[in-house]
Amino acid sequence: MSPQDPQTLAAEVQGATKRANEVLKELASALERASSLAQSLNQAREPRRDGESPPQMEELTRRLADLESDRTELSTRLAEFEQQTGRLMNLYVATYQLHATLDPSEVQSTIGEIAVNLLGAERYALLFWKSEGNECEVALSQDLEHDPGNLFAGRTYGGGDPAVDATLSDGVLRIGPIEGSEALAVVPLTVQGTTVGALVLLKLFDHKASLRPDDRDLLDLLAAHAASALFAARVYATTDRKLKTLESLVKLVRRGGA
Amino acid sequence: MKPKKVLVVDDSKLLHRMFEMMLRQYPLIHAYDGREALERLAEHGDVDLILLDMNMPRMNGLEFLAAVKGKPETSHIHVVIVTTEGKEIDTDRGIKAGASAYVKKPFRNEELNTVINSLPGEGEQ
Repeated sequence: MSPQDPQTLAAEVQGATKRANEVLKELASALERASSLAQSLNQAREPRRDGESPPQMEELTRRLADLESDRTELSTRLAEFEQQTGRLMNLYVATYQLHATLDPSEVQSTIGEIAVNLLGAERYALLFWKSEGNECEVALSQDLEHDPGNLFAGRTYGGGDPAVDATLSDGVLRIGPIEGSEALAVVPLTVQGTTVGALVLLKLFDHKASLRPDDRDLLDLLAAHAASALFAARVYATTDRKLKTLESLVKLVRRGGA
Repeated sequence: MKPKKVLVVDDSKLLHRMFEMMLRQYPLIHAYDGREALERLAEHGDVDLILLDMNMPRMNGLEFLAAVKGKPETSHIHVVIVTTEGKEIDTDRGIKAGASAYVKKPFRNEELNTVINSLPGEGEQ
């Protein structure tokens, strides 16, 4: 699935929820029919006085088997819809929250919250290329003090992990295991075709064994939205600061002229 | 149970938004740390379910849980701990402190709903 805008995702969530509710109704109706059929079946099982088996018995048994099969199929479909709804909800909430603020530190926190709360990352590092030099700053991290590789010590990353280095260079999302790398996933952070940094997932919580197939959507979404949300917030913060400085200057000049 | 009102206590805005999406059928009250949660609880006497994170500033989840379970007027409220701390020792600590259930982050929509539905409702305890 390609990263989408919040409105499209919201519409998809609503659609999936509606479909899940329809399946739920069908399931309830199938269960009701099964219950009434089981009742008829029980009545039909009662031996007739002449000792012969009731003629409708076979027909009722066949219909009950059909209903049982319908019920199983509907339950499977319901579980699939629930899973799909949950996946879309994650994507919608992540996108919404990334673009919900123009405060750069809040956008950064949201990236961290997505890594921890939605992907289950116990240890991660958010890297951004420094404006000068060949190093990345570690803008945000968790649990790096337990990082066995110690590549992110001193709040900078100067290279050394092949997967991280490759993603920082070519802007391609990488999911481990990758030979020689301790990263579970390296998500490029790209703005207008330029890779400005990467989110590196280094360890998941013990209760989450591995990244699931649907986590891939979230990683794609982060790659597409995280950097642009942060970039927009930084531009806004810079412009706002300049505007306030100019306003103060204008006030000073007016006071001086008065 | 079908909660009348749910208090969500978590320092993550993302999680609050997530709960809003997942639990649309219930009225939600929001708090971002334990102290704020106690204030919200005092304002909303009809809260009958609390979804509680553990790691929070000012007052953490366990301190808040102890405060809730220590007051007769709030001790009946179901508390479901929703946290990244997933070790058995963490789960035990939460349940011993009076939590009704434990959900590990990241969680799926259906997991949370199953836990809420499995809690005994009013008069069923």
